[in-house]
Amino acid sequence: MENSKAKIMIIDDDPDFRDAVTSILQSALYEVVTAPNPEEGKKKILKEKPDLILLDIMMDSLFDGFSLCNAIKTSKEFSSVKNTPVIFVSAVKEMTGSRFQFKGEDQGLSGPDDYIDKPVKPDDLFSRIERLLKK
Amino acid sequence: MKKRKHSIVVIDDEESMRDSCRMILEKDGFLTETAENGSSGLTKVEKIRPDLVLIDLKMPGISGLDVLEKVKKIDSNIIPIVITGYATIESAVEAMKRGAYDILHKPFTPGELRLIIKRGLDRIKLFREAESLRNEKKMIEENFITMVSHQLRSPLVAITQYFEVILGGIAGEVVPRQKDMLVKARTRLNSLLELINDWLDIARMDGGSIVDKLKIVSLEDLINKQVEFLKPYAEKNKVTLSLSSISGSDKALGDSDSLEQVFSNLINNAIKYNKADGTIKILIKEEEDYITTEIKDTGIGIREEHIPYLFNQFYRVSRSEDKKQKGSGLGLTIAKKIVDAHNGSIHVTSKPGKGSVFTVQLPKAYNTITQ
Repeated sequence: MENSKAKIMIIDDDPDFRDAVTSILQSALYEVVTAPNPEEGKKKILKEKPDLILLDIMMDSLFDGFSLCNAIKTSKEFSSVKNTPVIFVSAVKEMTGSRFQFKGEDQGLSGPDDYIDKPVKPDDLFSRIERLLKK
Repeated sequence: MKKRKHSIVVIDDEESMRDSCRMILEKDGFLTETAENGSSGLTKVEKIRPDLVLIDLKMPGISGLDVLEKVKKIDSNIIPIVITGYATIESAVEAMKRGAYDILHKPFTPGELRLIIKRGLDRIKLFREAESLRNEKKMIEENFITMVSHQLRSPLVAITQYFEVILGGIAGEVVPRQKDMLVKARTRLNSLLELINDWLDIARMDGGSIVDKLKIVSLEDLINKQVEFLKPYAEKNKVTLSLSSISGSDKALGDSDSLEQVFSNLINNAIKYNKADGTIKILIKEEEDYITTEIKDTGIGIREEHIPYLFNQFYRVSRSEDKKQKGSGLGLTIAKKIVDAHNGSIHVTSKPGKGSVFTVQLPKAYNTITQ
């Protein structure tokens, strides 16, 4: 695998999800860092400078993930990492049973580079990651 | 508590009446508009949507009673009060029967006017409180449903995620017997998740919240979107899926999210129960009051004795040839609930061995917003 040194960050409040996806990513030789919420996520992003971020958008309040993504892409604070690709991990089916539609653009929020549904299938995850890392 | 100024329209052909009412009401802080006849009065009511309207029963031109009826049609929340004189007492009673809230009898003192207005405003206050309580109740119910759904689904999602890890061989080698059992377990988990989703849909629908916001929906766009999304599934099952004809308007009055669910469910079924090399043809046609959508498949069909029960909860046509018993059995129930909530209808005709036709009728959307 080409990107064996790529560092992936997982931001999700479910420790089991972090655990499961960490083993998926490590099996493909990615380096993994994790954070349990957006606040810790912010600090770690700036410290670790991951190559890609998997961001759960269903933590606490619905907009934590959205505003973090927007901040990464647009705010001065994150300008050193603003080109980091972000994949929304949508457990929207978990919350509402419906297919997810990013409506944040209406509010002028910068959206993610891709979406993936829980439960995450390893091959699907790898192909999305690779696609974004190639850019 | 916000204090909004209340507005009143006074419709009376007598200038002195209009002037004195305006003077008294404006002094009391009301935004007041007057009109000298029914038609200009109705124009103002339409534009301003006041809280109260005072209508003189004896006017040339459109009668006070007709104005009253038209005001109620414009907005049934407007409080209409009729003004009567001695010659119009009987029409006053008639006015009450037709929905006037109160009667102001000429000649009246400023005090009497104020009293009647106050009673009208109290009524408005009660309406508003009732409405805000209803909204609060709905929000609590929706929050409850969201909470329950999160609590039910969250552990299941975590479990299925671990299944993906194990079945992917990522946590170590999986021997065939293990794999077999894990795959079966995962299938059961997915069914459980689907069942929860369906029950929560039904709970939300019974709460009455789904079809609040009816808009003009383009069925062509909506169905094309579903066709796009389900084409891969259809191709995998060697079924051709297409929106084959549209005649007339395709604009229905509805809520697109829930209608998407209906058509997604019907098309999914049409694929699932179809034969290899089969087809699914979808037709949209404009009819007198409805837009009718037909979904025709060349599937195994449904025997006549099952048809009356098809939309019942959990009803399953048990067939020996049907090995694909996936799904919760609630899909058609939910579809019917949604369509019914739209004041539409859904039914099916079928020929076993040949195929089925599901027909959905939805109210046509007209160009004007007032239906």
